[in-house]
Amino acid sequence: MENRIKKVMGDIFNIDVNSINDKSSSDSIENWDSLKHMNLLVALEEEFDVEFDDVDLENLLNFQLIYTAIRERIDDIC
Amino acid sequence: MKYNEIIKLNNELEKKVNSAQYSIAIISNIMVHQSEEICEYFLRVDSINAKVLLGEYDNIVQGSIKFKDANAVIIFWEACNFIDGFHYKVESFSNSEFESIIEKIKIEINLVISNLEDTSLVLINRFSSLIFNQFSLSNNRINQLVERLNIFLEDRCSANFEIIDIDKVISRLSIKSSTDLRYYYSSKTLYSIDFYKKYFEYIKPIFLSKTGKIKKALIFDCDNTLWKGVLGEEGFENIKIYKEVQYLALQLAKKGVIICICSKNNPEDVDNVLENHPDMILRDKDIVIKKVNWNDKVSNLISIAQDLNIGLDSLVFLDDSSFEVGLIKHNLPSVKAFQVPSQEYKYGLLMRKVSNLFYIASQTKEDVQKVQFYKDQLQRDKERGNIENIEDYLKSLDLVLVVHIDDLNQVSRIAQMTQKTNQFNLTTKRYTESDIKKLVEDGSKTVISISVSDRYGDSGITGLSILDNSKSVVDTLLLSCRILGRNIEYKFMDIIVNFAKNKDVRVLNSQFIKTTKNQQVSDFYEKCGFSKIGEVDDSVQYNIRIDGYKSKGIKYIKVINGK
Repeated sequence: MENRIKKVMGDIFNIDVNSINDKSSSDSIENWDSLKHMNLLVALEEEFDVEFDDVDLENLLNFQLIYTAIRERIDDIC
Repeated sequence: MKYNEIIKLNNELEKKVNSAQYSIAIISNIMVHQSEEICEYFLRVDSINAKVLLGEYDNIVQGSIKFKDANAVIIFWEACNFIDGFHYKVESFSNSEFESIIEKIKIEINLVISNLEDTSLVLINRFSSLIFNQFSLSNNRINQLVERLNIFLEDRCSANFEIIDIDKVISRLSIKSSTDLRYYYSSKTLYSIDFYKKYFEYIKPIFLSKTGKIKKALIFDCDNTLWKGVLGEEGFENIKIYKEVQYLALQLAKKGVIICICSKNNPEDVDNVLENHPDMILRDKDIVIKKVNWNDKVSNLISIAQDLNIGLDSLVFLDDSSFEVGLIKHNLPSVKAFQVPSQEYKYGLLMRKVSNLFYIASQTKEDVQKVQFYKDQLQRDKERGNIENIEDYLKSLDLVLVVHIDDLNQVSRIAQMTQKTNQFNLTTKRYTESDIKKLVEDGSKTVISISVSDRYGDSGITGLSILDNSKSVVDTLLLSCRILGRNIEYKFMDIIVNFAKNKDVRVLNSQFIKTTKNQQVSDFYEKCGFSKIGEVDDSVQYNIRIDGYKSKGIKYIKVINGK
């Protein structure tokens, strides 16, 4: 699952997947602005077939938070 | 395909597609930034080098000034955001407040239309009340407003505008899947990624048409494609004609699409059905080429394209066999091949989707007559095979060339020729109707169009040259592929040079701009006696002293002036 998240991030921000790690965040990735953030979240929702709450949308600003949010939603389904 | 994959492939395509850039400005009163890569991707896969420019949020009028020089402009104008919270405030307005908002929007529509009057192509979505009105049982103000504005829009829009029925896109997906209200409430992003995918797929034929990438011929297999059943096995009496599909095909033929047959069958069996089956809708006269034989379909399709003198990428092929469709997709990837579903109700839907590939912005008399033209052409080619001397053959044709100068009645056909002609086209400059109208009315430009007839029929307007007299330059020179091989081009050059001479031009300039399809005319100016004076990238410059021009002296083409 981590690799799938990283692949989506790489595509959306147009950067090398290998440059993305567990500590990546909107501070460390230059292209991660508010518009690209929206693009990232809809792409992740599409990839994992999940839906984030609207309160989460603004907060998921680093890899760890995104990973946790998706994990929770997939676990809910299982 | 998923959104992140589209973004990735779009980045890759940006490097690969290197045709002239086609700029598309998207202006809106909502956030539409997610349309950018999706729009570019859908056009780049078909070799249109699209570059999307996004207008500022809620700045449609200013955007229409800023982007008027783009190749195309797309307008997303959403009623729900005419003013902030419009969709829930509107019923609270007094009548005069409501009317004044309608007036304001009408004024803005007028401004946008006039700002974009010279833009080649403008796509504007019909106003829609679907999203915020979906539960409303009564006829309310949003309904009324949208209806009134749509009538106004249709009344006002000029020929360079295409009004897009966005409700069709929303309906195909459902309102729920088309929108993402979370983002509308947080940042005015109304539409979902899925919506944009469907939307750009839906409008793409307009761009294909405007950039000369329109499909021209539709080729049917026979068994389980024109009818249900296998003719050679089940027999004439037991096949069931696919009437709906044949009606749709006939309607396409009436619009100028070339219908052909490519089938592994006994030719006399198929002819018998075409002539005698009581349920058939398509008849022998509607079919331009029949390849009914036991050869492989790859060679048959190549031969059809050659006979029609069109590119393989202008062909659409329908066959029920996954083998045949796979074979074509593998060997001739530029042919659009579809497998016919075994359920008839699905086939009808497929056929409607296929019909869109032949979309043309406006229809001309020449399109309607085209089926007959191609048949005449094939008859000529057949006779040519029997006559040893080509010159004798041409003499026997009684060729007549009618010249029209700056004829306003032909604007639509002339624009269409610039958009559709690829092979005999020296500069491949694409013009819209409004462009041509301006050229016709411009005193320093001359638009010369020719129609050609012979004893087999009349080709209609099939040749064009645009001269810029102030610069003494041939801006455009093209001939439809239907009239090639008859030395018309040399007679046309006589006419052009003669015209320039009468305008006191001493040295006539011209150029050849190379594309992937116009190789056959790369040495045309040299053949006409022009001298090469320079070469930059894909463009070669020529000139000729008018008094040094030598006519080929063709006697068997009679020239008369139109009107």
